[in-house]
Amino acid sequence: MVKSVIYTLTAIVASIILFVCVDIYLNKQFDEFGAAIDTLYRKVEANSASREDGYAVKEMWKEKKSKLHVLIPHNDISYVDYWLSEACGLIYNGEYDLALGKIEVLKEIVENLPGGYAFKFENIF
Amino acid sequence: MALIFIRTAIIFITLLFVMRLMGKSQVGEMQPFEFVISLLIAELACIPMADTSIPLLYGIVAIIAIFVLHQIVWLLDLWFKPMKTVICGKPSVVINKDGIDEYQLKKNNLDVSDLIESMRVAGYFSLDDVYYGLYEANGSFSALENPDKSTSSLSLIIIDNGKADKKNLAVCGIGQDDLDSFLKKQNAKLKQVLVMTVNAEGRVYFQKKGEKYQILKMEVNGKW
Repeated sequence: MVKSVIYTLTAIVASIILFVCVDIYLNKQFDEFGAAIDTLYRKVEANSASREDGYAVKEMWKEKKSKLHVLIPHNDISYVDYWLSEACGLIYNGEYDLALGKIEVLKEIVENLPGGYAFKFENIF
Repeated sequence: MALIFIRTAIIFITLLFVMRLMGKSQVGEMQPFEFVISLLIAELACIPMADTSIPLLYGIVAIIAIFVLHQIVWLLDLWFKPMKTVICGKPSVVINKDGIDEYQLKKNNLDVSDLIESMRVAGYFSLDDVYYGLYEANGSFSALENPDKSTSSLSLIIIDNGKADKKNLAVCGIGQDDLDSFLKKQNAKLKQVLVMTVNAEGRVYFQKKGEKYQILKMEVNGKW
């Protein structure tokens, strides 16, 4: 009986700690990636973005997504992959106007993605 | 991650509530919350396992949520007796000294044929073989046996909840006229009869709705 209560409380406390840590981690990862996307957006806007800038953002995302796969559905990650690849392709070709639109979508996804997993009433139902 | 936990809890509570509403016919020898857990665990374990786009951690968190909810229900059962009734239900006495309790049967979404089937599974082949019959909270049937039980042949249902079973009437060799005159003697209309069974010796278990049962005799010509 006492053992069962201890197991239950341990499971509850461990779960709460996990939830808080995951929430903080997700927000941190997407904040960092969002900042990188913002920087890329400004460079593309100023027509000064290079292949290396796109490559750096892609590398950053590659590193982050290997860990994010554990925490969020892989389909959501593949949306970011898709739009980031499109944007980078356009930057490589110097098509900054078109790239801007893709990065705009990317910004929106990165901004909203962690909110989809946040502990909110609308997400529960 | 907390979302998965809360969503699992909501589904668990909803399923438990629905299972309680469905009554004992749906439970099948498990406590309602155990049945809900069996339903959920299979899906929760399978979906992240088979669908590679869902992190395995989602399944693990949902299963931990089920474990926590199971423990909470179990502890509530132990500590607060009224909660046991709310969560698991309570036994329903469906056969008492007056015969079949129609209200209790309906409350558990059962009918007379379900009851007779449960009795046969428990080894009783006539309704008057038991003094008391009850459905436990887990849906199993228990009975206090009548020491004078004298069943030597299978009882067949002739009238079930106001409807005559024509197939069984033919098996028993009872004509519609015989049945009508029998009912007339008992001062009953077909719709007023809750149950009427007859065995090969012509022993009749007869109960009108809202009244005590009677053991009567009737001429039968069938062989079974």
